Amino acid sequence: MATPVMPLLSIVLLVPLLGALALSLLPQTSGGRTYRSLAAVVMAIALVVSLAIARLFDPSNAAPQLTEALPWLDTLGLSYRLSVDGLSLPLVVLNNFLTLIALWATSVNLPRPRLYYPLVLLLNAGVNGAFLADNLLLFFLFYELELIPLYLLIAIWGGARRSYAATKFLIYTAISGVLLLAGFLGLVWLAGASSFDFDPQRSTLLPLTSQLILLGLILVGFGIKIPLVPFHTWLPDAHVEASTPISVLLAGVLLKLGTYGLVRFGVQLFPHAWQVVAPVLATWAVVSVLYGSLMAIAQTDMKKMVAYSSIGHMGFVLLATATATPLSILAAIAQMVSHGLISALLFLLVGVVYEKTGSRNIETLRGLLNPERGLPLIGSLMIVGVMASGGIPGMVGFVAEFLIFRSSFLTFPVQTLLCLVGTGLTAVYFLLLVNRVFFGRLSNDLTELPPVAWGDRLPGLVLAALILILGIVPNWLIHWSESTVSLLTPTVATLMPL
Amino acid sequence: MTPLAAVTGARATELRAAIIERLLNNQALLPDSPTHVMEVVGILKSYGIVLKAYAETLCDISERQFLVLFPFFKYFNGEITLPKLLRHWWHDRINYEYAEYCMRAMMWHGGGGLDAFLDSAEFRQLATKAIAAKLRGNPLMQLVNGLFPEFLLETVRMLCYYSGLGQFWSVMYPIFLTLSDRYDAGEIRSIPDVVDHIRSGLIADAARPITYRVQIRGNSYDIVPASAELTFLADTAIPYVEAVFLRGTPFFGLVSFNAQAQQISRDQGEFSYGALFADPIPTGAAGIPPTLLMQDMRHYLPPYLHEFYRHQGRGEDDLRVKICQTFQKSMFCVTTAAITALAPYPWTTRYPAEQAANREFYEQWLERLATSRLWAVQA
Repeated sequence: MATPVMPLLSIVLLVPLLGALALSLLPQTSGGRTYRSLAAVVMAIALVVSLAIARLFDPSNAAPQLTEALPWLDTLGLSYRLSVDGLSLPLVVLNNFLTLIALWATSVNLPRPRLYYPLVLLLNAGVNGAFLADNLLLFFLFYELELIPLYLLIAIWGGARRSYAATKFLIYTAISGVLLLAGFLGLVWLAGASSFDFDPQRSTLLPLTSQLILLGLILVGFGIKIPLVPFHTWLPDAHVEASTPISVLLAGVLLKLGTYGLVRFGVQLFPHAWQVVAPVLATWAVVSVLYGSLMAIAQTDMKKMVAYSSIGHMGFVLLATATATPLSILAAIAQMVSHGLISALLFLLVGVVYEKTGSRNIETLRGLLNPERGLPLIGSLMIVGVMASGGIPGMVGFVAEFLIFRSSFLTFPVQTLLCLVGTGLTAVYFLLLVNRVFFGRLSNDLTELPPVAWGDRLPGLVLAALILILGIVPNWLIHWSESTVSLLTPTVATLMPL
Repeated sequence: MTPLAAVTGARATELRAAIIERLLNNQALLPDSPTHVMEVVGILKSYGIVLKAYAETLCDISERQFLVLFPFFKYFNGEITLPKLLRHWWHDRINYEYAEYCMRAMMWHGGGGLDAFLDSAEFRQLATKAIAAKLRGNPLMQLVNGLFPEFLLETVRMLCYYSGLGQFWSVMYPIFLTLSDRYDAGEIRSIPDVVDHIRSGLIADAARPITYRVQIRGNSYDIVPASAELTFLADTAIPYVEAVFLRGTPFFGLVSFNAQAQQISRDQGEFSYGALFADPIPTGAAGIPPTLLMQDMRHYLPPYLHEFYRHQGRGEDDLRVKICQTFQKSMFCVTTAAITALAPYPWTTRYPAEQAANREFYEQWLERLATSRLWAVQA
């Protein structure tokens, strides 16, 4: 590992924060294009910094790296402590990349750009902070920090029922935060510690019952964020009402905070309790996968279908996390990134279809693959997206799902097989979508659709290219985490029958 | 988008009455407007250029590729060069396949004197003689011909259609090109002018003989002799209009259909998948024959029409759909020329009985065109 000459982890946090501040100070007369360009420059810098972190990161070293620590409120046990490992690094890069994509996909005619773009940058900083925090309280602060901009982004720039959806999101996520805080406080107090610094050994001093109670709080807290059935009901509403770029961030990055939390604060902090609840979690994963998939089949709104698909696919991450072997955790990380890219692509494309046709209803849309009057490239990218989501070989979705099923089958064979059914159902609902919306003759009402500009196509093209590249060269995705996962599951790996 | 049959009530009555009034007054199925004139003349100019290439190639195939069983270079008109081959593989060429689709549609639907002649003993005798001359010194093909005696005969019948359609288009393309010249000279100003020009061209060549003769080793062999008395209008033009404009073949994209749901008639006479019924919107999708014609025409659009398209819809992106829509308008003009020429009495007649007969004639035609795109071009 090369020694950094600058505190890169702090810089990757500060760049969007300072960018948000600078944008909010721009004169009100600045046009939407100026705001978007400047925000994109800020995010491009953050992405370059995160790539610089990746360059300095030593994949063969399992321990947290590039640690930066400053005392903050010692009496509370809060310290400004950041580090990066094979779990957080891919997610930080994903967060910066998808935020850039989301900015790119934002309309320049968006109202109130002076508020919108700073909020997006603030959201990015909050998520980066949560992934990098090495202190439980600091994680909680960042976890809560991203809540405010996301609430506003849905409530102000959302659809007709945005107020309802944003409030529902706020209530659910606030409860999630309260549960997490209770879990963290309980852990520190019961262990008699004076600091909230991340310490995987801390829970081993507690009786198993206490561990189970604390883990339960954390499971439900993150279960709301992922979301897992039955805590999922905020997600379809939030997606349907959120604008396309915000849906991209919501599905691509925000949900990953939940699965990241399960691995970091569930598996790593409570290895023994995790061992006890793992079969329940695997079964919970099956319920989420099958429920999400069956609900997706029943949808007529494309965006809701993709949202329920997300619930199903995040269930796969829970299955792999429940298994808690090095390979399965590696699979969970791969699925987080894979789902981030694929769901971002799908939401982007649904957004373009909605913008051009004014509808997301799969019962009225038809024939959009029409080469001259339809949306042929958008349709083609949608086919790539649904193939990737369905786990077709050669795409990143296959790599992640194969790793999950391969790693989970020996430990939870029945649950794994039932989750495999979920993969089959993915093909069912996405084939329904593609067949109804894109094939056949173009509906008479849609023969005068406006053309799709290259600005609308490029974000989708970039995402589709990445999905294909990582599917063909999966090592570029997983080699960052191969060493870290052995450290994430030291105890469980020896306890679990393999 | 709605077919005429789907228009009901007072609107349908009003529309039908308006169209019939136009036909009775020597106007056209297509409403007259300066834009329609510009579109129709422009598209027929590009169509004329393409038809010339089609016609020359079909005639060349019928004469020079006679019983060549693997005619790899049939679209090259005898000029086989590397640059032309590369252009062919790059698909930078005219889609002669479309011309062959039309030829096969004519052969499949039959009708007219050519169809009848190809079933005659005289044709069999002439074709057998030509086949024997062609196979001389080729024992393998003689063996094949002995085993399957109808195979080469049927191939010759198809070559007769190659020749017949080639000769038909050889008459048609100058009509369209001179129409454009006259428009440029300011002589064509309305849709009735367009129809009149086409009708005059058809009538002028109505009695032109259709014959087919091949050269084999320096000797001429008549396949369709002048004595068969086949003529341009009755034996190629009318069967062509019937087969290509009206009946067509049930390819995907022409109209929506579902064979398994019995939506396609078993009776070819009831087919209504021709050019006048084609759905322009799927143009550009793979495997749809009309797309080939639209691709060919887009290369030869006159500048004024190309400029007009640039400001319509998606500009260059949906050019082929717009060409198809305009092409249909022009085909309704050609159809007008054909059916008004076939009307029982001149449009100038003042006798009520003759006017009623004309009206009945046009009503029958309108009934046949009820599911066509006639409604869509009325705007």
